[in-house]
Amino acid sequence: MAKRNKLEIIKDILEIVKDNNHSIKPTPLLRKSNISSSRFKEYFKELKNKEFIKVIQKPDGKFVALTEKGFKFLEKYQTIINFIDEFEL
Amino acid sequence: MPQQLSCLANNAAKPFAKHFMNLGFGTEIIYSFVIILASLMIYFGTKELYELSSHKGIKYFRLAFLFFAIAYFFRSFIKFALVYFNTGAILDICPRTMGPLAGHLTLFIFMYFSTMAIFYLLYSVMWKKWNSNTNRLYLFHLLALALSTIILLSRNPLVHFLVNLVLLIFVILVVYIAHNEKKSKLKHNNLYTIYILLFIFWIINILNILIPKFFQTSKLFIYLASIGIFLTILYKVLKKTG
Repeated sequence: MAKRNKLEIIKDILEIVKDNNHSIKPTPLLRKSNISSSRFKEYFKELKNKEFIKVIQKPDGKFVALTEKGFKFLEKYQTIINFIDEFEL
Repeated sequence: MPQQLSCLANNAAKPFAKHFMNLGFGTEIIYSFVIILASLMIYFGTKELYELSSHKGIKYFRLAFLFFAIAYFFRSFIKFALVYFNTGAILDICPRTMGPLAGHLTLFIFMYFSTMAIFYLLYSVMWKKWNSNTNRLYLFHLLALALSTIILLSRNPLVHFLVNLVLLIFVILVVYIAHNEKKSKLKHNNLYTIYILLFIFWIINILNILIPKFFQTSKLFIYLASIGIFLTILYKVLKKTG
């Protein structure tokens, strides 16, 4: 399996959240993301800073949920990839 | 001071309206307007993609077209100054009075932005390979400043020609190397051809500004070809961004 690039990893993380009824606990998200814990922390921080995800406090603990911008990224992901590919960026 | 006043007075007395209505000048303005519009459409059309992805390649690609738009804006300004002051070349614009302001400064800004536009476009294709050396972009800025200074200080058309020829050879070499490394991806051949054409016509545009009589007969062809290249890139961008 080819090494995933940054955009692919972001897309995979966001898709995991989306596929779990739009919210998931951080630990299963880390497990399903298939990246190391340290890298996951970096990505998690970046996704929060970019406002792609938000942390929601529920009675049964913290949950990660997608924001509107996160949904937008998933919606536009293929367009971004096609654009990068077309212009060899 | 009296000399400066007399120069300004002479220029003001020139039949500006006649030059303004001149067909050549009108063509220049339309040409610049189309290029600026296409460049800005590319810049703003890719805004959302960059904001979502923060992709460096998209960032440099956008910056290249923003710089093209700024450069063409100053190009029109130079042409306007040429018509207004009724001189043959930008370096002749009333050197004792308006030169340092309207002529030399504008030429310097134009040269800097146009050279950087080319470097940004080059960087957008090569950034992954060059990413280890983060100082390279600063080097390009310094190089663009140096080239602009050389062109500004030298009043010899041959020097202008040689400087731009060196720049063109450098760009073609880099694009050729990048192209060879991706030889298997045949579908990208068109893109590199478009980029090479863009660089060639950009250099011709610069020479057209610096040595106006050099391309007198083929001016319309240069304009049409340049517009064609920018519109092709715009079409590709719009097709991909929706």
